[in-house]
Amino acid sequence: MLAYLAKRVGMMIITMFLIITLTFFLMHAIPGGPFTSEKMLAPEIEAALNAKFGLDDPIWVQYINYLKGILTFDLGPSFKYPGVRVNDLILDGLPVTAQTGFLALLCVAALGIPLGVLAALNQNKWQDTAVMMFATIGVAIPSYVVATVALYFFALKLNLVPTFGLDDWRGYILPVVALSGFWLSFIARLSRSSLLEVLGQDYMVTAKAKGLHPFTVLFKHGLRNALIPIVTVLGPVVANLLTGSFVIEQIFALPGIGRHFVLSISNRDYTTIMGITIFYAAFLMVMILIVDMLYMLLDPRIKLAEKSK
Amino acid sequence: MSNHPLLEVKDLTTSFFTSRGEVQAVRGVSFDVSPGEIVGIVGESGSGKSITCMSILRLLKSNGRVVAGQAHFEGQDLLKLAEHDMRKLRGDDIAMIFQDPMTSLNPTLTVGEQIIETIIAHRGSSRKAARQRAIELFELVKIPEAASRLNSYPHEFSGGMRQRVMIAIALCCDPKLLIADEPTTALDVTIQRQILLLLKEIQARLGMAIILITHDLGVIAEVADRILVMYGGMVMETGSVDTVFARPNHPYTQGLLTSVPKLRTAHKERLRPIPGSPPDMLRPPVGCPFAPRCLRAMQICVGEVPPIFEMGDQQTHKAKCWLHHPDAPTNDEGAA
Repeated sequence: MLAYLAKRVGMMIITMFLIITLTFFLMHAIPGGPFTSEKMLAPEIEAALNAKFGLDDPIWVQYINYLKGILTFDLGPSFKYPGVRVNDLILDGLPVTAQTGFLALLCVAALGIPLGVLAALNQNKWQDTAVMMFATIGVAIPSYVVATVALYFFALKLNLVPTFGLDDWRGYILPVVALSGFWLSFIARLSRSSLLEVLGQDYMVTAKAKGLHPFTVLFKHGLRNALIPIVTVLGPVVANLLTGSFVIEQIFALPGIGRHFVLSISNRDYTTIMGITIFYAAFLMVMILIVDMLYMLLDPRIKLAEKSK
Repeated sequence: MSNHPLLEVKDLTTSFFTSRGEVQAVRGVSFDVSPGEIVGIVGESGSGKSITCMSILRLLKSNGRVVAGQAHFEGQDLLKLAEHDMRKLRGDDIAMIFQDPMTSLNPTLTVGEQIIETIIAHRGSSRKAARQRAIELFELVKIPEAASRLNSYPHEFSGGMRQRVMIAIALCCDPKLLIADEPTTALDVTIQRQILLLLKEIQARLGMAIILITHDLGVIAEVADRILVMYGGMVMETGSVDTVFARPNHPYTQGLLTSVPKLRTAHKERLRPIPGSPPDMLRPPVGCPFAPRCLRAMQICVGEVPPIFEMGDQQTHKAKCWLHHPDAPTNDEGAA
């Protein structure tokens, strides 16, 4: 088990290195730099700035320097926000993003799975039809449409929630709804189809024929098996939600990281692009590792590490 | 065997309600099972043999319903029992083994857990006691290294071993009736025999009654005391295995017996398959379901379902066929 973990971490480091390298060179392949803007800077100033941040060095020197920084967990200074380090930029935005993301994730898991189960247990009855109708709408309508429409009605017209910011708990409602809508619907649909498949399995009939309590049959024999495909999807969903959404953060004016990421690309804010990419990538890889671990708990047929004989 | 049957099924009628209409899977099946008796139900796929048993245990798919009939088990009608009381019987007094041991065990639980949970559910015993009982059961069904195998998962067993596990689960509360739905069909031929012998041996030791569902006449001949031949949701012929095999009195039974290859025959004999295909139970024939395929069908067979006639040779030997009506033509060549 430990050997397996060590192997996985080793693979993650290699993957990370490849991501850093690719992003670094792709980023520098885009014309322009952090100090190219519509208001032309005087060439001397631009040259001085480039020199200050080491951007006049040959690209491989910059690359090596950047890698050295990474080893000490230093993501470098932001080029656009003078005096701000990328580490701080992420640490400032993360709580906001993670909070809304976590609430959205809670909605997805705590509502999506039970709704799917409800639909599966009442297959082709009105409960099923209702859940599936909303889930289909939820999957089909993009989050920014949900966000904009909800903002217009609930914040602007009805004045029930603030239009922006997270100053009190009501501010969280719309962003969380907009953020979780798609995945909630997706998970509900997946839970339904997954459970329906399991309910049709022979071992479910066996469980009933053994005279077990219906709850035992459903939860111990049914849901546990039905969860396997759900967990597969839930891993990337966690990463996706906790790292935030640029669109949602933009619409609700939330000071999260999603915003910084997109802005940094148009600004050629090299260090910010790199920093947030690395942060996202690491997060996603850890989530995938956790999912793989969960698999082993859920399904004994999956052996990640060969048992030592 | 006592005079009171353990299970008494009367006019059981089960239908499935599908988008295409009512599928009449079982149409008025009656039979009984005495304590300690092995009753074989034989029939081709779709003849209603499995549905009959699933109806008795009330394990039908949600679109299936018992339309009419009774199933008395030790005096109480299973079909009228509250679901809560029915659940107490399942896996306890009436246990079931299924066809495919590959899919009938839960892949994510250890086989031990799958036995232990059943014992605890019915006996309320402690985990430790249940585990001890599970080890005994594994030894009973001859699974080697019983204690350590309890911690294995179904995928770590071969097909035959899995069926042994299924049997152990079924036996865990000393059932009075064991329903085995094609218990050997999914297994290799050599394993089939082992499992059959095991069933027979356990039956002799524990003395429960067994309903053995199969499409394999050989299996019936080997283990069963009595046979029920089903076709088109009805019982066509019934009697002791010896009598029915020696003197089949229904053209369908005769057809079944001649379509099985025999190893020891004096002269070369062509297999005679039954021509045609089973009836569509959405629109079952008005008369005898077998009439369209029957070589000896008469006018009345097409128009009216035959009653059950008692054969003279043995009290329990009965056939549902117009040929046994006193007025039927007597060129009874098939009974030879």
